[in-house]
Amino acid sequence: MTAHQGISSAVGRRRFLTRTVVGGATIVGATALGGIDADAAFAAPQPSLDPAFAKSSFVEGRITRIDGSVLQVLGSHGDRACVQLTNATSIWKGEPTTAAAIDTGDGLYARGVPMPDGTVAADAVWVNIVNMATTIRGIGKNRLHLSHGHHEIVGNVFPGTTNASYAGQALTSDLSKLRIGQHAQVLGAWRPSDDSVDVVRISVGH
Amino acid sequence: MACGTTSLWAGETSWFCCGNAWGPCSSAGGGACGTCRSASYHGAWPNASQACWDITRPDLCGENIPRRGCGSVMNVRHQCSGATVCITITDCGPRTKSWCGEATCCNGACRTNRVLDLTPAAFSAIGNLSSGMLPVYIYE
Repeated sequence: MTAHQGISSAVGRRRFLTRTVVGGATIVGATALGGIDADAAFAAPQPSLDPAFAKSSFVEGRITRIDGSVLQVLGSHGDRACVQLTNATSIWKGEPTTAAAIDTGDGLYARGVPMPDGTVAADAVWVNIVNMATTIRGIGKNRLHLSHGHHEIVGNVFPGTTNASYAGQALTSDLSKLRIGQHAQVLGAWRPSDDSVDVVRISVGH
Repeated sequence: MACGTTSLWAGETSWFCCGNAWGPCSSAGGGACGTCRSASYHGAWPNASQACWDITRPDLCGENIPRRGCGSVMNVRHQCSGATVCITITDCGPRTKSWCGEATCCNGACRTNRVLDLTPAAFSAIGNLSSGMLPVYIYE
């Protein structure tokens, strides 16, 4: 897919979701648009949605049940929501992936369009994503010991997959310059099973 | 108070979680203003108070960011896509001094220094959470 095609698809996907809302139709799964990543969805100015409808909706919480392409979500403040996935939904869980990677118990952020039936038709879903300001407390072979607020967190490091940025420089797979005591921004994927975090990117400053 | 169009600042924005939350964010709390929520269009400003400034010290990166306290509203626009979101300041951050000189670019144009943190709801309204950073213009 070329960049131009990507932009066209991104705009088309949002128009598709808008038309679905305006028309009162129900998304049943497959679209002809195909999945694209969330970066591409913002590569160009977005068309305005119908002013009769909210511009977009946001859902946050834990996935309590998966019914086909619908995710039941319990929000952290006790609210409940249903997130409808389509073939046009971009999904991230440590990396761009598919709906098959989503599990009950996962944490979720989703962005989409509110539907007449109360569900949110998602154009992007981020599963277990975290972005934390931490301090490096320990460095092991395949893990980092991090403090985040008053909590200790284990960061799982994967050679060749985990990238680092030092003092604003470009990302590198070389993690040898990490030092105990450094402030570090960690973007990664939380593991509900053991409360650790798979580190995707770690940025250390001065 | 509505979001305005008067230019206030420009730079990088990251994102953070606050309020009740899952995973490592569960301990985040309501932020410096006590009202921050990940699912709301909220943000953290490096000069939300003197105590905040003493922690973030954007001046050490050459950013003499003006004071805007809890409840201030700002319009945040992605430098390249033009996507915008109106936010309310509910926390202090980011720790600008830790990343002096860091730049985030799009279409060959870069914004330097972390001057804003957005909640996941706000950040995802104008960009991709997995990017971690966005170059933005800030208006009030």
